[in-house]
Amino acid sequence: MQHLTKIRQFVLLALLQALVLNHVRLGQFAAPILYIYFVMKFSSGTDTKALTLWAFAIGLCIDILSNTPGLNAASCTFAAFCRPGILRLFSARDPRDDFEPGIRVMGFAQFFRYALALTLLHCAALNLIDAFSFANPGTLALKTLGDTTTTLVCVLCIDSVRRGK
Amino acid sequence: MRNLVNFLAKHSRWLLFALLEAVSFALLFRFNNYQGSVAFTSANRAGGFIYDVAGQVTRYFGLAEANRNLTARNVQLEIEAERLAEALGRYVRDTAEIAALRRTALQGYTIREARVVNNSVTRSCNFITIDKGRDDGIRPETGVICGNGAVGIVYLTGARHSIVLSALNAQSNISCKIKRTGYFGVLRWSGGSPQYARVEDMPRHSEVSLGDTVVTSGYSAVFPEGIPVGTVDDMEDSRDGLSRLLKVKLFTDFARLNDVCVIDPGPALEEQILLRDSAEAARTK
Repeated sequence: MQHLTKIRQFVLLALLQALVLNHVRLGQFAAPILYIYFVMKFSSGTDTKALTLWAFAIGLCIDILSNTPGLNAASCTFAAFCRPGILRLFSARDPRDDFEPGIRVMGFAQFFRYALALTLLHCAALNLIDAFSFANPGTLALKTLGDTTTTLVCVLCIDSVRRGK
Repeated sequence: MRNLVNFLAKHSRWLLFALLEAVSFALLFRFNNYQGSVAFTSANRAGGFIYDVAGQVTRYFGLAEANRNLTARNVQLEIEAERLAEALGRYVRDTAEIAALRRTALQGYTIREARVVNNSVTRSCNFITIDKGRDDGIRPETGVICGNGAVGIVYLTGARHSIVLSALNAQSNISCKIKRTGYFGVLRWSGGSPQYARVEDMPRHSEVSLGDTVVTSGYSAVFPEGIPVGTVDDMEDSRDGLSRLLKVKLFTDFARLNDVCVIDPGPALEEQILLRDSAEAARTK
C-alpha cells in the first residue's frame, strides 16, 4: 500500500514538473524544481540504497521528459544520498524513530531547515552540472539561490496544505 | 576473497551511489556529444505520447494570436513580393524569367509541417520536440522554420518524434548575414532573454546599421538563403576587438511556438549545394 502511494506521488510529481513547472520561470534565474519533494517525504527509516534508487528513477523520468539525459538523475541521486545525514543533523528526534518528515511531525522550524538544506544541495548540484564550469560563479550562485527559494516556497505550501488533511 | 565481499557489503550504498552517478554522467556526455540515443529523450514513444496529449490541450491557447501574426505577415509578404516583382520587371524585360524565379524559389526542398509538442526557453541548452519523426521522413541536420523565421536544426529523430536543437541553445550555430549588405556572421545564444540572440564574427569593416534585417546565409545546406532571423538591435566590438558583436531581436517567438516546418533539401540538392560551395571556395583561394 505504501508503495502504491509512493508510485502515485511519483507519477503526479513527474507530470507536474514536466508539463507545468518546467515552463515556469520567475525573472531570469528562478524555476521551481518541485520533484525533490518526492525524495523529501520518504520516511526516515528508509534504506539509503532504496532511497537512492527511487531518486535516480524520478530524476531519469524528468530527464527523459525534458531532454536533459543524466542531469536531473545525477543531482537527484546526489541529494537523496545526502538526505539521511541532513535528516539526522536537523531533526531532534531519536534516529531509530521511523517518521515521515513534514511540518506536522517535525514542526515548522525544523522542517524548514531540513527542506532548505536538501533543496539547496539539489539545486546547487543541478545548476553546477548544467553549467559544467565555474566560469560564471555569479550567475551560478544567483540561479541556485533563485531555484532554491522558489522550490522551497512550493514545498512549504504543499506540505502546509497536506498537513491540514 | 571474503574480505572483498565484506568490504563490498559494508560499502554497498557508496557503490550504488557511485554506479548511479556514473550512469547519469554517461547519459549526459553521450547526449551532449551528439552520439546520443533517442531512447532517453522525450522523442521516445512514451515521452512523445505524453507530450502529444498535453500539446493537444495547450496548443489552442495561443492560436488566436498566432493566427493574427500569420495573417499580418502574409499580407506583408504578399505586398513585398508584388513590389519586388514590379521592380524586377523594370530591369528584366523577360517576364518568363521572373515566373521561373518564383517557381523555383523552394524547388528541390521538401517542406514537412510539424507540430511542437514540447519546448523550453529557460535553460542554457534548449530543445524542441516535434511530432514528426523518421517514419515521416524527417532527417537529422535539416532546418526547421516557422511562419516568422528560423527556429533551429533537427538534432535526433525517433520513429514518430524528433528533437530540434533550438536556436536558443548554447551549442547552436546558424550561419546568417545582413540582408542589405551581405556581410555574414554566426548566430549564437548564450542564455538570457529568449527574444534576443547574438551574431558573432561579423567583420569590423562591415556596414551594419541598427534595424537591419538578418537572414540565413545559405552557406550551409541546412537552411536555404534568405530565411528571416531577426533585426539588429544593438552592436558593440567583440572582446578581442577583432570583430563585431550584434545583438539581434529574433522574429521567432520561441515561447509560443506551435506549428513549424522542416525544410529538407534532399540528398541530390544537398550535394549540389556542397559542390557549388566548394567550387566557390576554390575560386576565391
